[in-house]
Amino acid sequence: MTVTEQEIANYVGRVRAALADLPAEVRDELTEDLPEHLAEVAAEADGTLVERLGEPEAYAAELRAAAGAPATAAGRNLDQRVAAAVGRARRQARQLDTQLGPLLGYARASEFLRLLRPAWWVVRGYLAAMLVTVITTGGGFGLLPRFGGELVGGLVMLVALVLASIWLGHRSTRLRRWPRWATHAASVVLVVFALAGLANAEDRAGYQDYGYDPISVQNPYERVRDVFVYDSEGRLVEDARLFDQNGAPIRLGYPDCPDPRDPNGTGNPLLRTYPYCPDQAPFAPRAPAAPAPTVPPLGTPTPEPTGTPEPTGGPTATGTPGPGAAVAPNPTATPSATR
Amino acid sequence: MPIVDTTQLLKGVLDLAVLAVLREEDGYGYDILRRLREAGLEEVGDASVYGTLRRLFAAGLLTTYVVPSESGPHRKYYSLNAAGRDQLTRSGKLWRSFATTMDTLLDDRGMAA
Repeated sequence: MTVTEQEIANYVGRVRAALADLPAEVRDELTEDLPEHLAEVAAEADGTLVERLGEPEAYAAELRAAAGAPATAAGRNLDQRVAAAVGRARRQARQLDTQLGPLLGYARASEFLRLLRPAWWVVRGYLAAMLVTVITTGGGFGLLPRFGGELVGGLVMLVALVLASIWLGHRSTRLRRWPRWATHAASVVLVVFALAGLANAEDRAGYQDYGYDPISVQNPYERVRDVFVYDSEGRLVEDARLFDQNGAPIRLGYPDCPDPRDPNGTGNPLLRTYPYCPDQAPFAPRAPAAPAPTVPPLGTPTPEPTGTPEPTGGPTATGTPGPGAAVAPNPTATPSATR
Repeated sequence: MPIVDTTQLLKGVLDLAVLAVLREEDGYGYDILRRLREAGLEEVGDASVYGTLRRLFAAGLLTTYVVPSESGPHRKYYSLNAAGRDQLTRSGKLWRSFATTMDTLLDDRGMAA
């Protein structure tokens, strides 16, 4: 007897899954003898159940028709709903299979995919060789396999693994359950490995394209939110605009407080002037200036600064109170002309 | 594409065929399938026979018993009960009259048998 109990259980399971939309009692009644019946069938002749009886889903369809089973369902439990969903998914997959087929020029998409299987076997062999390459050379690799860094050894290994993969592909339909699952699992591992390799290669290409653009890597201004301009007197300049050497406006930061002159935010944000948020100035704005409107603005620091810088300025400061000396202790000089 | 093929005809008469096979002798699923095929119904499928047996059993026309086997699996035998024999008689008559009608129809139209 070449058919195992496991294969029978498997087959029965798939038949039951295909009948999942039937009420539980009907389905149980239809399939309660199926394992024994399939064991009889298996005992009578050689070959797998699928070879003898066709796919379980087709068997289930024929069984459903012959038994005249109704297709309604009521009061089903979770298992059955899951099984029904699986059944629906299978049916939809089959439908998609037939719908997509004509696009590819075949009756079914699966026919086309089946034609690609030998190609997959070759690719699988190559991927296995590359996996060995990565393991034996530890990390860096190109497109050709190497065995412990040796190209010739790698090519020999490539040929051997491709041939082995093709051989395995030819035999896969005859494999028992566990070897077949192992093959599938190994294939999944190889596909994941291939995807990781592709992503890796894509990353490397990306570095070559953009790697030397300093702005994108480390923009020294990316943390700038606002710009505060101070004049030489330490006064905050409001409504300032910045331009580069070509006259193009320099936009830095982003307004995170409403424009006092445009509280609804309907104006063009690109036309806003610095600072966006004068209230957040890092250095306290000058205290409201003592009215000294007669003092001339910038550039002509008065020799009589009315404050008392001299004591702090040292002996030389008395004669030449430069503009710098006037910065700190010069509140009264603030003309507040920009207000 | 044929309007009527054997598969379609089988659908209507598989019950009757299974009952007829079981009248001769009790049988288990695969055995019944083989006898149907030997009798000339080569296109009958395993699932159809199994499903028909389940349905006839559920309808109360068949009884079952299990025969243990020393080599290989136990076998579930099906046999006709009284209701099944009644059904066979009635369906058989219906079929004969139907078949006669069809024969006559085809003969009248000059078709060879």
